[in-house]
Amino acid sequence: MDTELFTWHTYSNTLDDLKQGLLLAQKSYAKSLLMLTCNQNNYCEAALNSLLKTCNLPIFGGIYPMVILQDRLLEQGAVIIGFKEKFDTSYFSRLQLISNDDCLETMITETLEQKNYFSGHDSFLMFYDALTNNVEDFIDCLFECLDHNVNVAGGGAGNLDLIQRPCIFSNQGLLSNTLLLVTLPKKLNTSVAHGWDIFQGPYLVSDAQNQTVKSLNYQPAFKVYNQTISAKTDHQFTEDNFLDIAKNYPLGIKDINNNLIIRDPILTENNHLKCVGNIPINSMVYLLKTDNETLISSAKRAAIEVANFDKKITIVFDCISRMLYLGEHFNEELLAIAEHCSTPVLFGVLSFGEIANSQSGAIRLFNKSTIIGSW
Amino acid sequence: MNKALFIISLQHELAMAIGNKLDLKAMLKVFLKVCFNRLNLTSAHIHIYCDQSGSPCKIMPLESINYQHLLSIPQRKQGKPWSQDKVLTHFSEKLCHKQENISFQYDNGHFLFGFIIPDHGLLTLETHYLLEPEVQKALQPILQKLATSCNTSLVHDSLVKEVHSRQLIEERAAFQAQRDSLTGLYNRQHINFLLSNAIAEAHQDKSIGSVLFIDLNRFKPINDAMGHSVGDKVLLTLAKRLLSLSNDKIAIGRFSSDDFIILVKNLSLDYQDDIKLLIKEINQLLEVPFVIDANSYKLNCSIGYTLFPQQSSTVNNLIKFAEIAMYEAKRTKAHQGKQYQVFMSEKIKQRLTYADDMKQALLQDDFTLYYQAQYNHQGDIIGAEALLRWYHPLYASLSPADYIPIAEESELILAIGQWILEQACYDIKRLEQLQLPTSFKKIAINISAKQLIQSDFQNRVLQAIEKNNISPERLVLELTENLLVENIEDSINLITSFKEKSIDCAIDDFGTGYSSLTYLKRIPASILKIDRSFVAKIEQSRESAAIANMIISLGNTLNMSIMAEGVETEAEFDCLKALGCHNYQGYYFSKPLPLEEFIKILR
Repeated sequence: MDTELFTWHTYSNTLDDLKQGLLLAQKSYAKSLLMLTCNQNNYCEAALNSLLKTCNLPIFGGIYPMVILQDRLLEQGAVIIGFKEKFDTSYFSRLQLISNDDCLETMITETLEQKNYFSGHDSFLMFYDALTNNVEDFIDCLFECLDHNVNVAGGGAGNLDLIQRPCIFSNQGLLSNTLLLVTLPKKLNTSVAHGWDIFQGPYLVSDAQNQTVKSLNYQPAFKVYNQTISAKTDHQFTEDNFLDIAKNYPLGIKDINNNLIIRDPILTENNHLKCVGNIPINSMVYLLKTDNETLISSAKRAAIEVANFDKKITIVFDCISRMLYLGEHFNEELLAIAEHCSTPVLFGVLSFGEIANSQSGAIRLFNKSTIIGSW
Repeated sequence: MNKALFIISLQHELAMAIGNKLDLKAMLKVFLKVCFNRLNLTSAHIHIYCDQSGSPCKIMPLESINYQHLLSIPQRKQGKPWSQDKVLTHFSEKLCHKQENISFQYDNGHFLFGFIIPDHGLLTLETHYLLEPEVQKALQPILQKLATSCNTSLVHDSLVKEVHSRQLIEERAAFQAQRDSLTGLYNRQHINFLLSNAIAEAHQDKSIGSVLFIDLNRFKPINDAMGHSVGDKVLLTLAKRLLSLSNDKIAIGRFSSDDFIILVKNLSLDYQDDIKLLIKEINQLLEVPFVIDANSYKLNCSIGYTLFPQQSSTVNNLIKFAEIAMYEAKRTKAHQGKQYQVFMSEKIKQRLTYADDMKQALLQDDFTLYYQAQYNHQGDIIGAEALLRWYHPLYASLSPADYIPIAEESELILAIGQWILEQACYDIKRLEQLQLPTSFKKIAINISAKQLIQSDFQNRVLQAIEKNNISPERLVLELTENLLVENIEDSINLITSFKEKSIDCAIDDFGTGYSSLTYLKRIPASILKIDRSFVAKIEQSRESAAIANMIISLGNTLNMSIMAEGVETEAEFDCLKALGCHNYQGYYFSKPLPLEEFIKILR
């Protein structure tokens, strides 16, 4: 372990244990704290608020479905990382009230101006409430307002039951509809991998609105999706097995460089497919498939890519859907990442949506992906 | 096949992104964002052609091209706007100069691809990959469509500007329709409109409102003496001060020349107190002197007010009543304002009746002049004052003090004054034709303020003298001290001029006008008449005696003769004589008499 870093974790789901950890962290040499906790802890919101408000160090992070520490997956418990530097944090709250691009730009610009555009820092971690409905617009706008060549790694917090609750930590307590930008003191390197391949397609997105695909090839989107999967696999959709099947066949938007940007269908309604992330009208999408080995080896490749840089800390944002897909084999993915990770400290979360730079440099929202960042 | 489909879908998506907004920059931003995402760009930029003033414009073929940076995604590079990036600037210059698609490769392997937006600007895309020729080609029809949309936006923009300027003109016209052009306060029409609404609201809410009518006292002399530009500045200054009182309940308007209206809505239950306070505030606003062009003017005002809906519910009546109350306040010098009362209207009506009857009297020759003899201490008649009398079955008992002020409120006083002048000259002629005692010198007539400011007043006097062929030395013009003080410079000039033509002037009612002794010295009048208020019971009043003594000394010093008026008793006569006043007028000697009777006592 890096002696310059305070790390603490617990498998316990009690708030008292978390309190102990926080007390220890506050007594350490740390000047700011990153706290990641598991959704299953079911902490009392009021008590957790009080704990956050009384913390005498800057504290940030969030509640995620599960937490990663080295090669272990914590289904309950928490991790606290204490940094020797005082990290700057920017909270963009009440995002649900922002109705258009101009308001978004105004909000972002005001914060950036206050922070003097982060004084030349270009590396950030991003923690956000995954159920905020305009996160993708926000990150697009943030990138527009920020600088060329910024580096970002982040992931969506929240609960598997998809009911929105406050899930972002701040010294003012728990926040919802919020995006937290943490400025890193050193350059962040990221790698992104998903491990999904084209299975069927292409299909023209003939009608879509934000995250909802209404029609593919001018036919109802779910009808096309259903017919293709029924015809090409052994799966048959019933009233209540949509997610069980859909987790195996996400949509992929193929970009001009033949990269696939994954969009995870999570809901079907009125013959439409609702995904995690926007799908542009007139874009071309494919149905994707994968297998355990491909998924795990993609994560491994990402870990190797990041390991090329000489860094101290590694953070992982791994999509919850990968764990759901891999099941008991998910541990192999964590082992593969940990094995190739060159830094002494490795932690992370299972997230709803992942954020990182694409090859072009733009900040993108990914699905079903592994983001590994190290600094 | 899939590549072809990709390019078609790319074209379609980009085409769909064009023209979604009417504003040029907003429209291009939407397009650029879609380009950025769909083409997996690292950065994207638009430079736009503009005219000499820097406004975006369409460039016609063979025209020289100016352009400026309009948009970039992301907005900055290494903390600076892209407009300061040397590589991009150089690339754009080259692209504009060549007017054909060009590309450039950075050291880090990134590329810049430049495209022309026909007639409108430059599109530059930064990629981390080589943009394939098919894709570049596929962009051409898109850029043509983008150019059309740019033109539409420019046309729209000019329409928006035109609509905006039209709106401004309309707003200005609407403003002007409501406002007084000099002061910017509401004009009479709009105050009427506001009052009409306020009356309706008052009925609906069962509330009370008030109309205050404000008239500046002695504004006219400033306007006349200093010119309208100074008068306008005074009004403008006052308007600004009054405007400080306005709020959602109080509206201020200019009614006419120096008349202002304040409309107050929703008064509290203590409305009388509220109005008193408001009047106090108005008076306080006037306490500060008006400094115009380095001159300082001290002004006050008369305020009348009326309440609605109690006193009336019609706009015309409310304003009329407030104005009547203002006149009453002015007449009684009530600085705390006057609320309208019904008797004020009756008084006005009465005055109007008087005025009409006076006009008739002039036509029917119902006026006559009485002469009150003036004596010296030896008992000789030295002259007389001509006094107006009215033969009228109802008003015969009225004193000129009752109806002359009414005539003075209108132009009627000029006609009456002219009649007196001509009649007095006519009578002087008659007297001159008689055997007059040597002591008898002059007939005095009273001159009103309005006569004095007549530009041809002097001519009128001279014409009357000439017409009747009398000696100008026989005529004395009596001007009150107050009248002289109000128009001091003009009066001095006029009296000097009369004196040059052997017409004397007397200062009437002396001692009541607080005239400056400095001015008095400059007034070339011949006679000082001690006001009757100091004469009455002078033998019993040390104060009156002291004032009379002072006036007598002053007259002696300035070489003016002194005349006491209103001498009614022997005791008064003795006292005045003892003080050194040697000329007298009053009932003790003789009451005013018709000319024939006056001739009798003269003989």
